[in-house]
Amino acid sequence: MVAASFHSPPPPTHRPPPFEMGFLHLFIVNKSGGLILHRPLGPTAPKISTNEWLRIGSTFHSLHAIAAEATPVKLPGNKNSAGADDGIEQIEGRGIILKCLQTRTGIKFVLTAEPGTPGIDAVLREIYVLYSDCALKDPFYELEMPIRCELFTNAVDSLIDQVVNGGVMMR
Amino acid sequence: MSSSSKAQAGQALWSKMPKANAELFALTYGSLVTELVRDYEDPIEVNTQLDRIGHSIGVRCVDELLSKADLAGLGASSTMCANLRDTAEVVAKVGFRMFLGIQAEVGGFSQDQRSFSIYLQENPLSTFVELPAAGDDDYQYGAGGDDLRKLKYSNLYCGVIRGALEQVNLKVECNIVRDTLKGDELNEIRVELKEVLSDGAGDDYKEE
Repeated sequence: MVAASFHSPPPPTHRPPPFEMGFLHLFIVNKSGGLILHRPLGPTAPKISTNEWLRIGSTFHSLHAIAAEATPVKLPGNKNSAGADDGIEQIEGRGIILKCLQTRTGIKFVLTAEPGTPGIDAVLREIYVLYSDCALKDPFYELEMPIRCELFTNAVDSLIDQVVNGGVMMR
Repeated sequence: MSSSSKAQAGQALWSKMPKANAELFALTYGSLVTELVRDYEDPIEVNTQLDRIGHSIGVRCVDELLSKADLAGLGASSTMCANLRDTAEVVAKVGFRMFLGIQAEVGGFSQDQRSFSIYLQENPLSTFVELPAAGDDDYQYGAGGDDLRKLKYSNLYCGVIRGALEQVNLKVECNIVRDTLKGDELNEIRVELKEVLSDGAGDDYKEE
């Protein structure tokens, strides 16, 4: 390596913009609260072990169920007399946004991303389609079991790639 | 959501589905059924097995319908059902159209609105099929002279509907009550709602 030059070092004020937009993680929880897939989606995704993810998945599942019971808001056409029809749809923090899509078959697709990332809802819906196209059509995939299906994970990766590099591409 | 808009939704979804050769489809199903007849001999047992296979298909393909209907911008409203009448429309107009490209009609609701019929004019499963006549000695599979007319050739449909609705918390019983293979003028699948299952925390956790 060349010794450090006497040129001015990179300005210390150069920091990444306050919120870099990007997807962080995808996790999928089955209808009984078991984690069936977790996958980092970008370089900024925090490193979390599978065990931690299992815990996060089942904790989220419980919170989701409690949220539906606890909400005082009853939207028009609400079917559940004891609470809301659906639980957590979104959690926002300073450095994170979490969105959840619960399907009517009870599977929860959850994406975390940095705030300001566009198209999260659309990506969730696309991932649901990929799940039904790739995972569910694998004859050796058992429902409710962890997804070990390269077709699906590759499709998710290329979807995210497309969204990140091609702007919001949505059909 | 009216019945005609459901038909449109079904048509839109069908147009996006990858298509398979209809003959390949009918022949594959035919070989499956004859293999089952050979293995089980008893047509009643074959019906049960077809229903079971259909069930495994149904629990998977319901997600495809829901996810694609949602993505196609048909909105949740196209598959959101307020009552069994809506459910019947989605199964017939969206489901059958999307996966098989055929037209299915709904009717015959019972007084209590808990059962209905799906009518199929055409049946892509049985394109080349003729059930052998009873007591036909030439027929090699009916070794015990068992009556293949008890066979519900398209019983797969029943399983698919049962499996799909089970995934959205509706426990139903399905039966083929009319079959063009048996000389009826159309195919009729009778669907009866047994129970609406509840999910979530369940009643065990509710306060008294």
